[in-house]
Amino acid sequence: MTILENIGRLTITLMKSFAETISFAGKVLYRIFQPSTYNSATRTVLVNQIYFTSVQILPLFITASVIFGSLLIGIVFQLLKDLGLTQFIGNVLMGLIVTELSPFFTVLLITLRSGSAINAEMAVMKVNKEIKTLETFHIDVINYLLVPRIINGIISLVLLSTLFSIVLMSSGILFSRIIFGMNIDVYSNILLNSANFSDIVIALVKCACFGFFITLIPIHFGLRASHELTSIPIVVSRGMVSVFTAILIIEVLSLITKLI
Amino acid sequence: MDKGLQKFLRTNQRQAAPVSIDIPLISNQEVWLNIALIKQYHENMPRGEAEHVAINALQRLGLGDIAFKRNPDLTNEERFCAMLIRASMVRDALVVIDRPFKIIPHLKDVDYIFQALKKIEDFYSSCHIYDYEWVAEKYGALCQ
Repeated sequence: MTILENIGRLTITLMKSFAETISFAGKVLYRIFQPSTYNSATRTVLVNQIYFTSVQILPLFITASVIFGSLLIGIVFQLLKDLGLTQFIGNVLMGLIVTELSPFFTVLLITLRSGSAINAEMAVMKVNKEIKTLETFHIDVINYLLVPRIINGIISLVLLSTLFSIVLMSSGILFSRIIFGMNIDVYSNILLNSANFSDIVIALVKCACFGFFITLIPIHFGLRASHELTSIPIVVSRGMVSVFTAILIIEVLSLITKLI
Repeated sequence: MDKGLQKFLRTNQRQAAPVSIDIPLISNQEVWLNIALIKQYHENMPRGEAEHVAINALQRLGLGDIAFKRNPDLTNEERFCAMLIRASMVRDALVVIDRPFKIIPHLKDVDYIFQALKKIEDFYSSCHIYDYEWVAEKYGALCQ
């Protein structure tokens, strides 16, 4: 009985948390499409956030993409050659690496760097009573803090994922020449013939969803901090676990969509 | 925060502009951004113009050099002045200073506060100071 009770209690807690997050997401989404949300202050925050998330990370991101992407492409091409599956090179590149791996790699990197930072930033603001400062001066917390960060998440994920795909495909030029003796025209033709519009749309929508949730969830959990310093690590850890759960759910949903 | 002060803030919602240790500067933003935020958010003032207004206001108090510093790097006096200027950015501001000696504990009297208020008096409509009775002597003739 106790075990059943515990399972029930856990399920109720999880469902409540899920419902709260979805309802919060709905509220934020509504604000994103309200023109009155935007003013000089929100634009300043948006520009700063894009700089912190997408521009400052570029050296690390490009280095990681070149090293990881090139090695991966090299191994995949070698494997395709060994298995005699050279004709599927385009499908593997576009269907697996560009539409699946790029968003996943990007979301992991951005979550580790920016998601955790946003989570801690919100919790510290709550503990320091800075959220109260905003409320006292009639500055809407959703409009000023949340909307710019979430839009930045969406823009950054889409752009960085595209950049990762470009780096991978560029590495592909080199490796297709070394491994298959293929020239750039043949390689480009194979890629273009394998490009599936619906796959690209799904990949972009997936990136946008990742961007939305990896910023929304850390903010949501960060704002749950109490006024005690000890609540910061608790909300950060809960937030990050929830973000990784959200990433897995979105990934699974996108795979199901592709299968259908 | 005192109940009287809370009531004042509630009844003068739009104009009330508090300066209080309980309403700190936003620590991950520079001083000028804290000040400019009010103009940018409520009046949609462009960033460049709001920056100019904020820095000019700081220079009036001889604090132009703190514009690009953040809250933890400020002295108590600098923090008080930054909060005062931020409050005065509210349109037709009714500045309310809540227990100023909690923000600058080592002050012997209110001269420093009055001098700061005098230098930016054209920025606000009126100013009210809330404090404990037991610090009345620091206000000198004002409380007699």
